[in-house]
Amino acid sequence: MQEEETMSESNRGIHELLVDYAGALRDGCIPAFLKSLTREEAERIASSWEFWDATEISRILNSVGFADKAVAPNVSLFISRVDAEIASRLKKSKASPPGKRRTHTRVTKTDDKTEKSI
Amino acid sequence: MDKRLRNALKGLTDPDVERRRRAMEPFVRATFGIFSKYLYRYLGNEVECEDVLEDVYADIWESPERLRNITSETQLLRTVYLYYMRKRLREVYRRINRNLYLSQSNLKELIAPEIGTLEMVSQSELEQNLRQALSKLKARERRAIELWMEGASNRAIANELKTTVGAVKMLEYRTILKLRKMLRYYYHEN
Repeated sequence: MQEEETMSESNRGIHELLVDYAGALRDGCIPAFLKSLTREEAERIASSWEFWDATEISRILNSVGFADKAVAPNVSLFISRVDAEIASRLKKSKASPPGKRRTHTRVTKTDDKTEKSI
Repeated sequence: MDKRLRNALKGLTDPDVERRRRAMEPFVRATFGIFSKYLYRYLGNEVECEDVLEDVYADIWESPERLRNITSETQLLRTVYLYYMRKRLREVYRRINRNLYLSQSNLKELIAPEIGTLEMVSQSELEQNLRQALSKLKARERRAIELWMEGASNRAIANELKTTVGAVKMLEYRTILKLRKMLRYYYHEN
């Protein structure tokens, strides 16, 4: 709550923006950080090489401090999720008309969309 | 690269989709820990990590060509990040892309950046070097970062250091820049 209040303040300096970014990364709430940015803050970030340089260290601190949380206790369950996703893609590719059937259809399409959207 | 991972990679490039599907299980078992730890540094959220990885593995199954001729774990991680994880990371934030003031290129760089000098160093090496760098900081700087890494809020850190939240933010910022300088110097020297 306190972090959210801090994030919503306007006219944050570059040091506050970096610390807020690092905090958001640590707490897994990057969308809240992105939404909290004002136009001036976004411009400040864009022109600050120190901010961009320091984001790498923020990610490393996040990785060293907290990455162990990311390992799922049940890999078998995760494997069945992956298999279900593969089965669904396989079904879609079999269902598509033979003329349009391509092995990498979905990946290529998604790739193009992603490149344009961000 | 260990034998388990090498064997898991072999089956992935089979042209038959069903055989490739069966090969995914040993591959996921051998790589899930490595990939999820790596991805966590960009997301900071274990649920998101699993969701992204589910798509990453399915993408690998669908299009495994990039993983031919992989000879080391570092090369595998680098390839998977560049060709599979990055596009999925960008997709996570695509839905909130509207109404943001950050430009698209800045958003892309913040969410799924190019690989930095330090980001391809193994986790254990990073931990060791970060510990060394932390030991060279001033006591107050070290304490602020240690508390931050324990999950303390800026208010809690300010209370512990008997100062204000604003001063803590400035201290953390300067310390992060200092750590960056120390770690970069170390890796350039070596």
